[in-house]
Amino acid sequence: MAVARPTFIDEVRQSEQFNAAACMNCGVCTAICPMGLEHLPREIFRYVVLGMEEEVLKEQETVFSCLLCKLCEENCPAGVHITENVRSLRHYFDRKAFRI
Amino acid sequence: MNRRKIGVYVCHCGGNISDYVDVEKVVDAVKDEEDVVVARTAMFTCSDATQQEIYDDIRELGLDGLVVASCSPKLHTFTFRGVAKRAGLNPFQYTQVNVREQCSWAHTDDRQGATEKALRLVRAGIARTRLLRPLEPTVVETVPKTLVIGAGIAGLRAAIGLADIGLSVVVVEREAEVGGWVKDFGPMYPRDKEGRELVRQLEAKVRQRENIALFTSAEVVRKAGSFGDYVVDIKTHGKSSMTMQIHVGSIIVATGFDSYQPEEGEYGYGIDGVVTLPEYKKMLDAAEGSLEYHGRPVKDVAYIYCVGSRQGDDGPHQYCSRFCCSAAVHSALELYTRDPSARQFHLYRDMRTYGRYELMYRESREKGSTYLKFAEDEPPAVRKGADGRLVVTIRDQLTGQKEVEIPADLVVLVTGMVPRENDALVGALKLPVGRDGFFNEIHPKLRPVETVVDGVTICGACQFPKNASESVASGLAAVTQSAAMLKQGRAELDPQVASVDPQLCTDCGVCYATCPYDAISPQEGHEGRRVAVIDPATCKGCGGCAPVCPERAINLEGYTQAQIKAMIEGLAREVV
Ligand SMILES: Cc1cc2nc3c(=O)[nH]c(=O)nc-3n(C[C@H](O)[C@H](O)[C@H](O)COP(=O)(O)OP(=O)(O)OC[C@H]3O[C@@H](n4cnc5c(N)ncnc54)[C@H](O)[C@@H]3O)c2cc1C
Ligand code: SF4
Ligand code: SF4
Ligand code: SF4
Ligand code: SF4
Repeated sequence: MAVARPTFIDEVRQSEQFNAAACMNCGVCTAICPMGLEHLPREIFRYVVLGMEEEVLKEQETVFSCLLCKLCEENCPAGVHITENVRSLRHYFDRKAFRI
Repeated sequence: MNRRKIGVYVCHCGGNISDYVDVEKVVDAVKDEEDVVVARTAMFTCSDATQQEIYDDIRELGLDGLVVASCSPKLHTFTFRGVAKRAGLNPFQYTQVNVREQCSWAHTDDRQGATEKALRLVRAGIARTRLLRPLEPTVVETVPKTLVIGAGIAGLRAAIGLADIGLSVVVVEREAEVGGWVKDFGPMYPRDKEGRELVRQLEAKVRQRENIALFTSAEVVRKAGSFGDYVVDIKTHGKSSMTMQIHVGSIIVATGFDSYQPEEGEYGYGIDGVVTLPEYKKMLDAAEGSLEYHGRPVKDVAYIYCVGSRQGDDGPHQYCSRFCCSAAVHSALELYTRDPSARQFHLYRDMRTYGRYELMYRESREKGSTYLKFAEDEPPAVRKGADGRLVVTIRDQLTGQKEVEIPADLVVLVTGMVPRENDALVGALKLPVGRDGFFNEIHPKLRPVETVVDGVTICGACQFPKNASESVASGLAAVTQSAAMLKQGRAELDPQVASVDPQLCTDCGVCYATCPYDAISPQEGHEGRRVAVIDPATCKGCGGCAPVCPERAINLEGYTQAQIKAMIEGLAREVV
């Protein structure tokens, strides 16, 4: 059982632009991603907003595979700043996993 | 007896009827019946061309009876009554026979059987028509005054609307204060106007108008009379308790709803910190800055949606309460204005912030609200955690079906609307109540505020869950209906009502209690005897009383004892 930690999102958030919670889980991004990244960005965003840190840490590969091509962002009906959010996540990994 | 001149028209309904009923054969079989002077088939009886044909036949052949064998009387009774009337035939000398719903649609596997049944029904129709006599509608003068029951936002707005059209209004409110639920609310969606302020404005307008009489702490205890002139007893409670009698032409019912009360233990209800939506709204409206509950700060709030609504197949509340998604999301936004760093989790089944309220849903997500979706058969569970805080567990369908535990300082059960207990009023008005316990309109699309009781309309959340603007909109629809009826000054009532033959009545008393509309009462003075008398303005022509009378003293106009007997003979005759 994962325990939600509502303060986790503050550790990931890099800028005011970060808006993972605005996602409404429609799945457009997953369908459209040219890399076929199944867990990105929708599911990882869920882990972030719910504070499921362990799950986020498992997704290092995915977070760095993103091309930042913005195809998903262009098509997102909820105005989620997907690439900006991914950048925030990369910063988080830099700090947390690579300690840089 | 003089011979009648009856015309019979049997419809193909395109092929809806003629595919399974041999309509030509039916016409052949009845065209030589006694009293039938013309019998034809028609492709579409209700078409303008056939209506013209019937019109011409009535005029040229001097018909004094009309039988149309087509679809349900619900659909076209008024169409063919209209044809008769235009052609100079009394509209009540017409019989509708239903050979579509009752023959062709019901017996698609048996063409011969369907045809025989159609023939029998048409013969019965002819038999009934033979004994019809011309009738004129009962005309009553209407009292230009409306009674509004319930002074919530819907009733108050309706009263003002009626008064401004020039009708007198009597408002009866059960509570000591007007305004219903809205009177206690702070900011409401959309646009955040305060509920108490809205009610203050409405109440001031009501008090300004001389043609509105407002009674609070009062109830309707009895209704008699009929549409156009209802006689209503109103009882006031408290110190100056009294009963008064008023005459009104129409009645608007705006008695509102109740909030669903969770059972002990339902989603943890009963645990300290688990509250219903109205309880939460009250806390929010009272809070200045960030929220506290029993002296403890509230930082993490979990909302559980659809509590008491959308309850599967055997629950009493299967409907969606419609306002609660929007009200809960609005409350979340309210909390952000007091405390932008509050963390809010919404556990929902489906989000139904329809129309413009979608924008609130989006705003709440942008402000950080997190939404988690649970399945109907696996609802979230609430318990008290080891640290004394609340813990909500959910299998989140949006996060790969993972089980998630959410710590919370407050759990809000987003409770829906349920019908208000109002048995006494329902009894007094004979209001139709639906299976869900809310009041029923005649037709959900075309007659959305009228009830089967003439002159009685419903509006607001007593009809089904509605938010404030929807409640007011239906209140104004009820105003229009009431005014349209009363402004004519007179109302026409259906003359197909029951009457008692005083010669035969022995005052045995069995019929009095059978009438669902209290139309039958004993009256002294018929040749020194007491007999039953039916008030034609109150009788709805349901026919319930006629068969119980042991003396066969009651006849329903259009369905007299003689007509029923003749119809049975028509039905039972050999087909050949
Ligand atoms: C917590 C909560 C928050 C809400 N927030 C919003 C919001 O933000 N925006 C919005 O649009 N809507 C909101 N609503 C919905 C709103 O409250 C209703 O739409 C509105 O109250 C319906 O008005 P009404 O006049 O039909 O019923 P009510 O408000 O229930 O009023 C009915 C009145 O009739 C009286 N009455 C009942 N029976 C009798 C009787 N037999 N004789 C005489 N009087 C009687 C009652 O005492 C009451 O005064 C909210 C509801 C709740 C519970
Ligand atoms: S397209 Fe946008 S709203 Fe839809 S799932 Fe992806 S991020 Fe969420
Ligand atoms: S009269 Fe009734 S049965 Fe005939 S065409 Fe019209 S709808 Fe169909
Ligand atoms: S409005 Fe929302 S919370 Fe209320 S019953 Fe409907 S879906 Fe459930
Ligand atoms: S016909 Fe129906 S409404 Fe009329 S008096 Fe008889 S029972 Fe009452």
